[in-house]
Amino acid sequence: MIPSMTVGLLVFLGLSIPVGIVLFLLGFGIDTFFSPFPLVRGLGNMVWSTSNNPTLIAIPFFVLLGEILVRSGIAARTYAALDRWVSWLPGGLVHANIATATMFSATSGSSVATAATVATVAMPQAEKLGYDPRLFSGAIAAGGTLGIMIPPSINLIVYGFLTQSSIPQLFLAGLIPGLMLALGFMAVTVLLCAIRPELGGVRRVFPLAQMLRALAQLLPIILLFGIIVGTIYRGWATPTEAASVGVFGALAIAALFGRLDLGVIRESLLGTVKVTAMIMLVVIGASFLNFTLASAGLGAELQTMLDGLGLSPMGLILVVVGIYVVLGFFIETLSLMVVTIPIIVPLVVAAGFDPVWFGILMIVLIEMALITPPVGLNLYVVQGARKSGRMGEVMVGAVPYVLVMLAMVALLIAMPQLALFLPETLR
Amino acid sequence: QSETLSVVGSWSNLPLHNEYEAPFWSQTLPEASGGTIDVALTTHNQMNLGVGDVYRLLGEGVYDVAMTVADYAVADAPELEGLDVPLIAMTADEARAMVEAARPMVEDIYRDRFNSHVLAIAPYPPQVVFCNAEIESLADLQGLKVRASGRMTAQFLEALGAEGINVGFGEVPGALQNGVVDCAVTGAGSGYSAGWWEVSTHLLPIPLGGWDSVVTAINLDRWNSLSPEMQTLIADTIAAEFEAPAWAAAQDALTSDIACLTGNGDCPAGEARDMVLVEVSDADFARAREVLETTVLPDWAARAGSEWAARWNESVGAAVGVSIAQ
Amino acid sequence: MAETILGALRRFNRWVALAVGASLLLCAGFVLLDIVLRRFHASFGGTDEISGYVMAIATSWGMAYALSELGHVRIDLIRSRGGPRLRALFDLFALSVLAATVSLIALKCWPVLERSILNSSRANTPLETPLALVQWPWMAGWIWFAIASWVTVLAAAALLLQGRHDAVHRHIGITGEIEEAEAAAVAALRPENAR
Ligand code: NA
Ligand code: NA
Repeated sequence: MIPSMTVGLLVFLGLSIPVGIVLFLLGFGIDTFFSPFPLVRGLGNMVWSTSNNPTLIAIPFFVLLGEILVRSGIAARTYAALDRWVSWLPGGLVHANIATATMFSATSGSSVATAATVATVAMPQAEKLGYDPRLFSGAIAAGGTLGIMIPPSINLIVYGFLTQSSIPQLFLAGLIPGLMLALGFMAVTVLLCAIRPELGGVRRVFPLAQMLRALAQLLPIILLFGIIVGTIYRGWATPTEAASVGVFGALAIAALFGRLDLGVIRESLLGTVKVTAMIMLVVIGASFLNFTLASAGLGAELQTMLDGLGLSPMGLILVVVGIYVVLGFFIETLSLMVVTIPIIVPLVVAAGFDPVWFGILMIVLIEMALITPPVGLNLYVVQGARKSGRMGEVMVGAVPYVLVMLAMVALLIAMPQLALFLPETLR
Repeated sequence: QSETLSVVGSWSNLPLHNEYEAPFWSQTLPEASGGTIDVALTTHNQMNLGVGDVYRLLGEGVYDVAMTVADYAVADAPELEGLDVPLIAMTADEARAMVEAARPMVEDIYRDRFNSHVLAIAPYPPQVVFCNAEIESLADLQGLKVRASGRMTAQFLEALGAEGINVGFGEVPGALQNGVVDCAVTGAGSGYSAGWWEVSTHLLPIPLGGWDSVVTAINLDRWNSLSPEMQTLIADTIAAEFEAPAWAAAQDALTSDIACLTGNGDCPAGEARDMVLVEVSDADFARAREVLETTVLPDWAARAGSEWAARWNESVGAAVGVSIAQ
Repeated sequence: MAETILGALRRFNRWVALAVGASLLLCAGFVLLDIVLRRFHASFGGTDEISGYVMAIATSWGMAYALSELGHVRIDLIRSRGGPRLRALFDLFALSVLAATVSLIALKCWPVLERSILNSSRANTPLETPLALVQWPWMAGWIWFAIASWVTVLAAAALLLQGRHDAVHRHIGITGEIEEAEAAAVAALRPENAR
């Protein structure tokens, strides 16, 4: 079953069939060839139950929030402000890419929205200032992945939902690793640009007064982060509900800056519907595939395989990491999570690991999947936004950041406290 | 003639599945059949099924056997709510008597609504109350915010003057700590292993959420396709080797789970905690019955229809001494 | 003719998407109001249940808009190496597979609705929402997605037969492709790429 599924996946994806549809096709294939039961009869119920879901409505809310910020020009202000603060570093604006992505991660729940936001704002600058297009766009793709690690995060919501673990705790757990990743991205950029200065474009130093003025531009987004996280930790709202607070917070900020008009609202709504439908087709397809896989006994197949290996808990984690790295090349990230969580998480928890910690580890691996070819959503989003050059450039540019993520995986395994410290302290 | 049954179990992380369902379907039954029955076992959460879909898909013949909490299916069959009424069965023996009395009703409901045949009804641990608030009796729930699931429990709380709040299981500890809810209802064992004792002080060890009966059923067409010998084999084996032991262990499990939470007695599961055990008085029971008879059950009778209310009065009602005014 | 149809379809889906987006915004406002009310120990009750229904209906009705806007993710590895004609064939093939799959989904929505109608199913919540009431607009969304997909398939096939590969690309291609080709030519002339 596993080999034929892999082949099927590659062929269908190679034919450029929409990813969500590919997941359905694989489900039909498994139903036809590997399951004696008429699973397709359950198709309608799977579609209904997956989409009739109050937790998942956080997806359109967080996407809408990001859309409003971009379209009302707040993202551009943030980018310009961060430029004042970080462009003296070797690598210049590349750091602004990462820092803006980090800030937007803090308000936006999705990596796609974050990457799209920063790419839209940043790309025109790259051409003006003569940056290496590979590093520049790779940094955006990588920085954008922080959206699913730094709270709020759609993927952590899905993880918490599927594993019945606390979403606020997951959000807390993602904070330190997320910030460490951001710093790691900046460190690797400095290193690369120190070795090969031609990658980095122009370094610019701004006077202190300008830096301080820029700080004021950053306030709205910091405020918004405070509002979202505050309502969750004061116990006023669930993370999903906090997303609605964020939407109106973003509207208020846009109005405050005098940038809110019907056009902004209309385009934000349209963008939200498009992205939500895109994500949901994949999520629904993944649910159906997962349903067929479980029925055809993939879980049991994997369990027996792993039991047969007689792994130590650490061995198990390393195997799991390997599985995610490999699957991450090919499978779209939400699908990857939805498909694997019911199979992998029980194994990991049974081996004595903390589900919150594993959620964070999985998110790093998922972040990696977002920027590894051939299927890496953020690569496509950045490519889509930059409207020039070849896809391959973004892929090459993302490689250094993939290495940082691998280092983060190792760190998290060596020191689980990186994730668990905050949730345990603030419990 | 050998048969393969595809079986969808209940929550894979709970003891009922791990200690009873899984061994029964993967070992006991195949062995008892002398190898003529082969089982492919998974669980509804591993399949990522919506809990409301489990019996719908069973009826469609997507798989052969399914088991889950009957309460999950009441959207499609309001009359099924009568299987699991809060606070009318205090002990496992009483709960079993209630379920036995309801069994013919349940069988008819599953046949007509879900095209399936009931094989067994086993209990989840009773759904007890964890409070992060000083309470001394059931009446003290008045004015408190309580996390509970299920319509009947919500209506019961409302009738007591409490406010029902919907919070996901994973969010409960935070909600208890922040005061989003004052109390929350779940199985004593689940609450112990999920660490609810860290964020709550008082334990009201009464089944406010009922016993959450888990119904095992087989698709009716599939059942009719089996030979009479095989039907008898399955029915007898499941009654003796799954249903009976699951019920037998239920009371002891509750006693030791409560001991784990309050420190009154042995805790085989690990370290005992020190929640305050709230003794429930006769006045509390009387109040509960009154609320059931005057508000909650008549409402249910209106939803399910008067024939079901009459049947309930003759069976379950007679067994537990409660009667719905018609 | 084909392009007129595709244009009309796109405009219609845009209106649908605006309605869907507005209902999402409304839902967010409803949830926000409930959070505020809860501070004062009041509540509408059932906002999460309603959010679920809104999500299901918004999802199904948003699908066709995402199709019109080339929003559904596709992998562009082999396809991009071919000429305009091959690419158009890839696009039409992928779209046909999508249309067939979506039709099956739309078809399989019916037993769900049918069961709810037969059982007069009501949600197991204090709201007791009749499930059929929320499931029919959900099913209608999938049916519309299927219809819109087939109309797009036919119109794109007509364009392909006329040899209008650029039009096929515009309506059912993968975004960023033409821009990429143009820009690659421009980028090649820039000094930083000459080193
Ligand atoms: Na985020
Ligand atoms: Na990837």
